[in-house]
Amino acid sequence: MILDQLIWPLLLVFATLGGGVYLLAVLDGLAARSFGLPQAQSVWLLPLSRGAWLLSQQANVTEAPDWWGWRLAPALYLTLAAIGLALVPWSRDWVATDITTSLVLWGSVEALATVVIFLQGWSANTHLALIGAYRYVALGLSYILISMFVLIGVTLPAESLALTQVVASQQELWNVLRQPLGLPLFLIVGLSITFRGPFNLADSTDLAGGTSVEVSGPQRLVWEFARSAMLVAFSGIATTAFLGGWLGPWLPGPLWVMLKMLAVLAILAWLGRWFARITPERCISLMWLALLPLSFIDLIWAGVEALL
Amino acid sequence: MELLALLIVLLISLGGGLLLQWWPNRRQPMATYPQRAPFLGGGWPDTHAWSRYHLRYYPMTLLLIAFEMEMMFMYPWAVVYVEQGMKAVMEMGMFLAILCVGILYGWREGVFKWQ
Amino acid sequence: MAVSWLSRLAARGPATVFPALGMQGEEAFYQLALHPEIELVDSPRHASLLLVAGGVPPELHEPLRRVHDQLPAPFTTLWYQSEPLLELQQAGVVRVDSLEALPDALVDAHRKVLRGELGVSPRLLVDEPPNPWRGLGDDGHGGEGMMGGVPYGRPMAMPPTQDLRDGLALDTLTFRLGPFFPLWPAGLEAEVILQGDIVQQFSVQSRPFPRAMSPVFFDAWEHAMSIARLERARVQYHLRALFHALHLAGLPDLAWRALRLAEACDRQTITALEKGFKDFERCLKRRGFFALHLPTCGTLNTEHAEALGGFAARAAGIEGDARRDDEGYRRLGFSAISQQAGDTQSRWRQRLAEVAQSLTLAARAQQNDAVTATTGVVETPRGVWRDERPGDASALLEKLLPGLEWGEALATIASLDVAGVSQWARP
Repeated sequence: MILDQLIWPLLLVFATLGGGVYLLAVLDGLAARSFGLPQAQSVWLLPLSRGAWLLSQQANVTEAPDWWGWRLAPALYLTLAAIGLALVPWSRDWVATDITTSLVLWGSVEALATVVIFLQGWSANTHLALIGAYRYVALGLSYILISMFVLIGVTLPAESLALTQVVASQQELWNVLRQPLGLPLFLIVGLSITFRGPFNLADSTDLAGGTSVEVSGPQRLVWEFARSAMLVAFSGIATTAFLGGWLGPWLPGPLWVMLKMLAVLAILAWLGRWFARITPERCISLMWLALLPLSFIDLIWAGVEALL
Repeated sequence: MELLALLIVLLISLGGGLLLQWWPNRRQPMATYPQRAPFLGGGWPDTHAWSRYHLRYYPMTLLLIAFEMEMMFMYPWAVVYVEQGMKAVMEMGMFLAILCVGILYGWREGVFKWQ
Repeated sequence: MAVSWLSRLAARGPATVFPALGMQGEEAFYQLALHPEIELVDSPRHASLLLVAGGVPPELHEPLRRVHDQLPAPFTTLWYQSEPLLELQQAGVVRVDSLEALPDALVDAHRKVLRGELGVSPRLLVDEPPNPWRGLGDDGHGGEGMMGGVPYGRPMAMPPTQDLRDGLALDTLTFRLGPFFPLWPAGLEAEVILQGDIVQQFSVQSRPFPRAMSPVFFDAWEHAMSIARLERARVQYHLRALFHALHLAGLPDLAWRALRLAEACDRQTITALEKGFKDFERCLKRRGFFALHLPTCGTLNTEHAEALGGFAARAAGIEGDARRDDEGYRRLGFSAISQQAGDTQSRWRQRLAEVAQSLTLAARAQQNDAVTATTGVVETPRGVWRDERPGDASALLEKLLPGLEWGEALATIASLDVAGVSQWARP
């Protein structure tokens, strides 16, 4: 029983984390190639050789960093991603963490992600990194509201905050069809939590790398790995909340979850490369004046639909 | 059981991340001071970066606190929503309407600008 | 050994290069940006090779030493058409002077570095903190009680001053952003005072290196020149400037496409170029270059616009264009285009409109074999060249940038062309 309840789900979580990060890097390379940017190597080898190069490089240090923050931030971001992925139900019985308030835990993961990304930039005690960290917090405080309203909309038909119940409530119809505004808004949240593409305010090119400007070597590898891992965890939550999780005809539950996660990751990889980076001022205005009212509408729609 | 699983996940990922950061570099010497200087394209800074940094979005954070409290209210509200029916819809409608007025006021006052 | 297969795997990856551009180094930069196996990075910490392209004047040797020491081990340096620093010459650095051999030399150096064949990378500056701080102050941290001193080797950001945007008095950060900052013109060194991320003051310490223009413009100043060739050179200039702005905007594939179009300017037919550029412009709009990224700040007032000339003046509504007075252009039906707002977004709209106009003119000129009629006056893409070449305009930045947010400020610098025109043409 302990095997079923603990070991298999945990193994699935870590296997998906590792494999998902690699596949996301491959998907990103494929997206770049589809936009016409030539890659140095085959998309399957490129993440591996970059990872190997980062392992062989010296890890940089700044003049007077906050040592605890400097060393812990990448590993903490990775931990948050792993905890997020541990909430995902893989089948009717296999959940690594089946608590009754798993969406609240995911909300706290999102909030702590802002703290950790800020810590990465602030600990360096360097000008460009500091600007990146403070700039990201503006985005971090804005996306969390949209995420929570959209996820509350998902819990209304489920009458519970537990992700297992959310999946059970999608037996007749997936939430992506029942609450059409939900998944697009949630995808934008996904790009924000990993500061990818148009929302890359933390590690942006105009700060020569932002919070990562002074980071090199294995520490940079763990940071980039954690970013991708967070996106993998996010796609797990998106799959569970909107795409019906492990529900599906012939294949076993875990396989369905992984396939749906792969689809969400492909969409996010493509979206991340499509748009230009938004300025911070427009970002806040967009989030508060356009996306937040849309999430209100989504919530009202979900509420009306749940009562009918 | 769930907390045990979370604890295992936390320990393995934190430990794994820290090990991956420390292991390849365990025998590297400490970086020299010129290597540790902040990258400014060849320039040099006058001071440390830590300072009383002028945050530009501080008015927005006040509005955020109001919405956070609404989020706290919504967690239990969502669980009992279907049983409560129209009463729950009314309550949430009022709460959202009041906060929407807050957003409109903030927008008019320029709270969402990068001041 | 685990080490060897890991380093062999790493050696097959792209060569990560930090470009420190000196005078006339842009040509190598643009060639390398197109090469798939070379990745030009924005921070020396993300690189394993330092490429010094173009001559670095002696007063900028100290910043070069600082950037050199900021690369993490293992790394090496390559010098392209530039004299290596004296301290490094004993270490046996690689100097390459031909552009065709440069990419292979970089990839080769990257492989050697990863296989550990190059030994310990030399550090040029002394391993000392910038200020003596050990043993001073109450706990040996360099401080002097509550205020002042040099804790951990630098003073703390202290004096509160009133901010430009909302008047709050908080600490300012002062630093010099140096000549090898990859996101603005090479050679520009400025002392920046920030409060938060709004620029309070921007004073230019060292002007950007003059840029070498295509020899077509130099020839056109002296004698009649085929209008098709002239307009092609103009398109190439604007597309190369667009590369920098697109890299800043986080659109690396469009930046690469802009550079490819620029390289094809000499070779391809005008119809192919026109079609390619129209697709490209549509892509720019759809992907949010204007709507998401470009700010509507950095407006030039009339006197600045007139002093600057060129496309920036036309974007601000001043309809001056030396091509209007040229008989050759008038016969092709040339009419100057301009925008109204003189801000960053309108400058890019102006430049893209001028590229489209140049391609149409070149197509018409090719049919009639039209040539320019006047000499001694050339409308270069940078401005009008009558008696003197367009000069450096970096003093304008000191008035334009205060009050702008960091990203907006860099986008504004990328939309202007503040570097002067060099007296030597591009080879």
